[in-house]
Amino acid sequence: MAGIAAPMAPATPAQAPARIKASRLTAAGVFVWVLITAGVLVMAVPLVMTAYISLFRDAVVVFPPSGYSTAWYMRIGEFPRFGESLGTSLRIAALATIGSLAIGIPASLALVRYSFLGRGVLNVLLLSPLTVPGVVIGLSIYVLVVEVEIATEAPLIGSDLVLAAAHLLITTPWVVRLCVANLIGLDRSVEEAAANLGARPWSVLWRVTLPMMRQGIVAAALFAFIVSFENIEMTLFLISPGVMTLPISVLQYLEYRIDPLVAAVVMVQTLVIAGLLLLLDRYVKLSRIV
Amino acid sequence: MSASYLRIEGLTKRFGASAAVQDVNLDVRQGEMVVLLGPSGCGKTTTLRLIAGFVEATAGRILLEGQDYADLPPYRREMGMVFQSYALFPHMTVAQNVTFGLRMRRLPKPEIEQRLAATLEMVELSSMAERYPRQLSGGQQQRVALARALAIRPKVLLLDEPLSNLDANLRQQVAREIRQLQRAAGLTALMVTHDQDEAMMMADRLVVMDKGAVQQVGTQEELYERPANPFVARFIGHSNLVAGELSGGTRLSLPDGTVIGLAGHYAATGPVTLAIRPERARLCAPGDAAARVTVVVEDATYVGAHVEYLLALPDGTRLILHDPTDGGGTRRHAPGDRAGLTWDPASERLFDAAGVPLTARAAIPA
Repeated sequence: MAGIAAPMAPATPAQAPARIKASRLTAAGVFVWVLITAGVLVMAVPLVMTAYISLFRDAVVVFPPSGYSTAWYMRIGEFPRFGESLGTSLRIAALATIGSLAIGIPASLALVRYSFLGRGVLNVLLLSPLTVPGVVIGLSIYVLVVEVEIATEAPLIGSDLVLAAAHLLITTPWVVRLCVANLIGLDRSVEEAAANLGARPWSVLWRVTLPMMRQGIVAAALFAFIVSFENIEMTLFLISPGVMTLPISVLQYLEYRIDPLVAAVVMVQTLVIAGLLLLLDRYVKLSRIV
Repeated sequence: MSASYLRIEGLTKRFGASAAVQDVNLDVRQGEMVVLLGPSGCGKTTTLRLIAGFVEATAGRILLEGQDYADLPPYRREMGMVFQSYALFPHMTVAQNVTFGLRMRRLPKPEIEQRLAATLEMVELSSMAERYPRQLSGGQQQRVALARALAIRPKVLLLDEPLSNLDANLRQQVAREIRQLQRAAGLTALMVTHDQDEAMMMADRLVVMDKGAVQQVGTQEELYERPANPFVARFIGHSNLVAGELSGGTRLSLPDGTVIGLAGHYAATGPVTLAIRPERARLCAPGDAAARVTVVVEDATYVGAHVEYLLALPDGTRLILHDPTDGGGTRRHAPGDRAGLTWDPASERLFDAAGVPLTARAAIPA
């Protein structure tokens, strides 16, 4: 009897903690999965609801709908100045993206690679627009532009130039942040190797540094484009009756009515962004950079 | 001096008040492999980077074939460098990596092709030309880095810890390969390492550095047999260092009153440091006439080729002794035993307070 009990004794304490550990893991696992599911739902619900409403047959949104149809997508052209405002949005976003890359890439190189007087100030300055509410930026730019208009009599409000310049303020901080993060992660000795092999500074930049920054630059361009494309609060001050971005025309439409047409427009806007993301994903694996 | 191909004169680099490299002087002959060796932070890597031109010297000259390179930018120095991290261009294939320097020199295409083929063959990577660095093993990446540096036919090959990222079992093999390539091509090379075995294996001559300054330049044998100061004695191989007061030519008195009878007769007096290598001393019976000092055996470990003894002097100073095994009765002394310690005059090194070696006027036979 004693001979049997002895080998069993150590087995029991060894098994007990394992069982407790397993049950704890399960509880934690369930909790994590609940959180993940809840998070995904919260993020997906607005999109799913918009997509759902865009398929309602009735012109007035009632629930439950009397039927479903894709007719609203066929009638997107009836949305006030749909093509025009989508075009403006894409144009401004493209300009702002190119502009902020032109500012942000050299700035991030300077910030990471060199130490100079005012480096800290420049860093703060380039990121500061993130800390100012968009409404405040929009209003300030509006006041400034009106003053300039009065002085020069040039029509500036609503011009691509002013809109793109204003959007630079909100896109550049993203470009700088992403490029700086990317540059910090790069092995400096690769650039030294290029110089060692006979590459002059411009060649090093063009053939080694920029190609190695590709992922950061693509991510930066992506963020810049989206931030610009979907901006409302700052843009609101800078449009003119003739020039309008898509988010603002949606907002203005919503002031008077809610119907499946506007839901269809928003879906198209979302699909434009999603399409861009998919296109980019072919060249750079987004999961690795964002 | 025609023998000198690369000459470093008074090379100094200060960062603020501290000197990372302090007055380094060095002559390297054509076709010679010189290894800079020292503990981390000793300035060896900074010295290499100064020579490559990545760091600007505070003072000094870098003469290559008589021309001063100190003010030339790195891209005009014609020095091929192999980096510790290899620093391969991740967005280029092996072939593009290797030909980068050739393309920068705008060599004609046929010559680039021919040099690429020859260089890849030399490092046995001909079949990997179209791969990207991330598709290669560490050893292969290392060879690409070497090929890239060799392809430009550098005047000097610079190697910064080239083996430190390789598996231990690959290191010796690669070390030998690099050495063979360097010898076959008659390349002048400067290598930096903190690994003594690596340095001993690859160098024609070694430069031992510490605290930014050169401690000694010499062949393996010179460094091992005639260290210039206690640092070199301890850093190359291993030396037991014992500090004391020299008096009467042969008496080394330790602070606690213990007296060691030296093997040589010295003219100097005053504070000195005695250096004895673990394999150059022997144990004997405590009362033996040959005993220069009596020690207590603290530990004895059989490690194959020898028994490693940990010994304690009366004042507690610990010494290490290697007693070769002979297949017979090993571990002749057990922990706790008292024993006499002795050595030959030729194995004794004595340094004065400034670290300068003292020469014995006469040997005192044990």
